[in-house]
Amino acid sequence: MIQPQTLLNVADNSGARELMCIRIIGTSNRRYAHIGDVIVAVIKEAVPNMPLQRSEVIRAVIVRTCKELKRDNGMIIQYDDNAAVVIDQEGNPKGTRVFGAIARELRQLNFTKIVSLAPEVL
Amino acid sequence: MFDELLDKYGKVVYSSKNDVKRPAAEVDDDAESLSFAVALAKVASEVKAADIRVLFVKPLVYWTRFFIIATAFSRPQIDAIGSKIRDLAEEKFKRVSKGDTKPNSWTLLDFGDVVVHIFLPQQRAFYNLEEFMAMLRPLNCHSKIKISRHFAVERNMPPFLKVL
Repeated sequence: MIQPQTLLNVADNSGARELMCIRIIGTSNRRYAHIGDVIVAVIKEAVPNMPLQRSEVIRAVIVRTCKELKRDNGMIIQYDDNAAVVIDQEGNPKGTRVFGAIARELRQLNFTKIVSLAPEVL
Repeated sequence: MFDELLDKYGKVVYSSKNDVKRPAAEVDDDAESLSFAVALAKVASEVKAADIRVLFVKPLVYWTRFFIIATAFSRPQIDAIGSKIRDLAEEKFKRVSKGDTKPNSWTLLDFGDVVVHIFLPQQRAFYNLEEFMAMLRPLNCHSKIKISRHFAVERNMPPFLKVL
């Protein structure tokens, strides 16, 4: 359940460390974003000497949420943190590697690039 | 420690009977995917894509079988390669791709068991997918050895098949 003002970890090596959601993309009036949604976010904390700077506005895909993800077969996936991967306007990831486990729902939502950079897919 | 215990007492549990596949059926599926992947790679080489690699990634990731990685030198060329591959897959194999429809610096076509990546040279060096795949640990070493023998790839080599 990501909404504006939510802080998220960054699950890639793009150079950002922490993001704050400021808008959910694709809907005009939806309250929460879930795994696979694109958000507009501002970088709250960044790694020094990297291309991404603090207070930059970027787009990101949510890859992990504390709110559980339910599948049709009854499986429930719940992570310990909220995390996102930074993407550009074309949808390519800005980092070259994704960290941690991500859900396979991202593939169905056409984020196969992120899935192919991830070390573990649940 | 856990490996020993797994060898002794562990067994694979399937959620339903449909999940259980005979090894022979799995090898057949692999061979079918390989022929599809090679056909796509040949089409890509006809449109002058460079440095085409067909990687057998099934032992490393469970969500697909083959990666095709190719380099194109301009966006029109990426568009040409993508549309040729899509046409061939639809006409000959009756399969439709998901993924990018517009030419992108990293264009991805997802056919389920075969995933095609077409890069511009800069992006290919940036993302370096081959190196990433070489770093991944195999999911199940038994299947890796079995499959490697089937395709006559040496056991210690990374499970990559360079076709073209």
